[in-house]
Amino acid sequence: MQDVANQLKHHFLKQPYNFLTYNYLFNMKKKFLLLLLAASTYSIASKAQDTVKTTADAPLVLYGSVDTYYKDDFSGHGNIPTSFASDNNSVSIGMIDLGLKKTVGNASFVGELSFGPRNDQSVPTSGYHIQNLYVNYAFSPKFSATAGYMSTFIGYEVISPTGNFNYSTSYLFTNGPFQNAGLKFTYAFSDKVSLMAGIFNDEWNVYTSQHDVSTFGAQLTITPVKNWTAYLNVATGPSSGTEFDLTTAYQITSAFKLGLNAATYSTTHYSAGFSGVALYPQLAVSKVVTLGLREEYFKSDNGTAASTYVPVGPLPGGSVLASTLTANIKTGPLTLIPEVRLDGINKQQYSSFTNSSGDPTKSASQFVLAVVYGF
Amino acid sequence: MCVLFAKVASAQKDLLAFNEQNKYMYYQVVSQPGVITDTLKDRALYFLEKAYPKNTVKKGETSGNFTGTGKFLIVSGLAVAKHIEGEVNYTYYIECKDQKYRYWLTDFVFTPYKVDRYGNSVPQVGIDIPLESATTKLDKKQVDSYLDQIGTYSKAFGDKLRYYILKPAALPKETKKKVISTKDW
Repeated sequence: MQDVANQLKHHFLKQPYNFLTYNYLFNMKKKFLLLLLAASTYSIASKAQDTVKTTADAPLVLYGSVDTYYKDDFSGHGNIPTSFASDNNSVSIGMIDLGLKKTVGNASFVGELSFGPRNDQSVPTSGYHIQNLYVNYAFSPKFSATAGYMSTFIGYEVISPTGNFNYSTSYLFTNGPFQNAGLKFTYAFSDKVSLMAGIFNDEWNVYTSQHDVSTFGAQLTITPVKNWTAYLNVATGPSSGTEFDLTTAYQITSAFKLGLNAATYSTTHYSAGFSGVALYPQLAVSKVVTLGLREEYFKSDNGTAASTYVPVGPLPGGSVLASTLTANIKTGPLTLIPEVRLDGINKQQYSSFTNSSGDPTKSASQFVLAVVYGF
Repeated sequence: MCVLFAKVASAQKDLLAFNEQNKYMYYQVVSQPGVITDTLKDRALYFLEKAYPKNTVKKGETSGNFTGTGKFLIVSGLAVAKHIEGEVNYTYYIECKDQKYRYWLTDFVFTPYKVDRYGNSVPQVGIDIPLESATTKLDKKQVDSYLDQIGTYSKAFGDKLRYYILKPAALPKETKKKVISTKDW
């Protein structure tokens, strides 16, 4: 540290006209170092306290992630339409995600902001950056109420790249809700069974309702055996349609985990919708590397001639089988994610994929290399 | 100061030793002259109820023994950037005899945390790593940090127990209601 100070001093002494600036900077530096020392002392003290306290109000906590990726669709142009990782043959950014949370007594809040293309593809209104903004009050250890704008309770995958094993996303995720704004209550009947029920805005992914607060949502959480949790979800409303969803994960051994997501969605009118199932086996092959497969079947309903709803994926009436092989290579907070993916539509008439010549084709494949840093 | 802190931090890890089953253990025997078993037992039970109300408490096979389980959080980072790495579950034992008692914490098992979709830090279900084999699944630097925090926690557990044993004032008092008579004046 002294060497740096001497170098700085030497530099400014060579330029006398800057000596006043040097003195100013040197004093600032001293103040900064003192401040840093004070902050470190405080942090050390608070760290020691937090590790011994058994009950305390949590401090204000900052958390989040950043992610960046390179994608190469083997056709030379982007084909696979699921959310995020949309740029082809480009080193592109995902988003910076910044969350703040605090609990005092029985009350807590979470505010999570994000910026970047991944944010822009995941929030409803251009220029808005809120992923989570809610307050929670625990009336008892078993009963709590939450109000605000929250990540959806439906589905296996999430918007935050730290919450997913695969970097690309499933058709079920892309076509399902991302967030729900509303008021929900959660009651834990036991360690193995809890129920959430709430009323949400009439449309998914909106900060403000279009007309009213008319989507009903519920989640029954069951833990049939140790390390296996299943979520039975429903969201239904006259505007948003109805989605039934099963999301479950079973950590069978410390190295092997099996996840499953199955869902069916129908719009209120015209019989349009989708259904699908995705399986997520994951195996830790070393303390650094985990391999995982996502095998998804997704079908777009036929709908009727009057239907205006078209899911992302195969054209109405078609289905797709998407196979994604992903590795997570972890070093501290950094995760390197190489991934290959092959999507095949059942019939060419339902496909919007094109090959390198621009001709229609039933299949598409891509390679993604992503880096995610979580904190 | 940094050197001093580093030495203090590593000293916390050194408080742990291995027992006959090759498990990490924090073990202390404390003499308490002039205090009989029953008194030590009452004070130890009061300590568990008041200082660690979330811990389970089970009376041992012999009188004056307690055992149970508890857990605490492992953190990394400083101030607002503090990050919950996971939780450590442990088993404790307290044994009281005339004029002395002993206690130990062992069976330390680490469960990593993740941030869920709502921003909450939650345990990763099914990932339970005994500290003895933690280096096969975690970085050595991480494990060293966790052991330091376990040492700090264990020492604090013992310090609090000693405080409750030493200070009869820590025992529940019979609170007398202050009543003012308005008849005699």
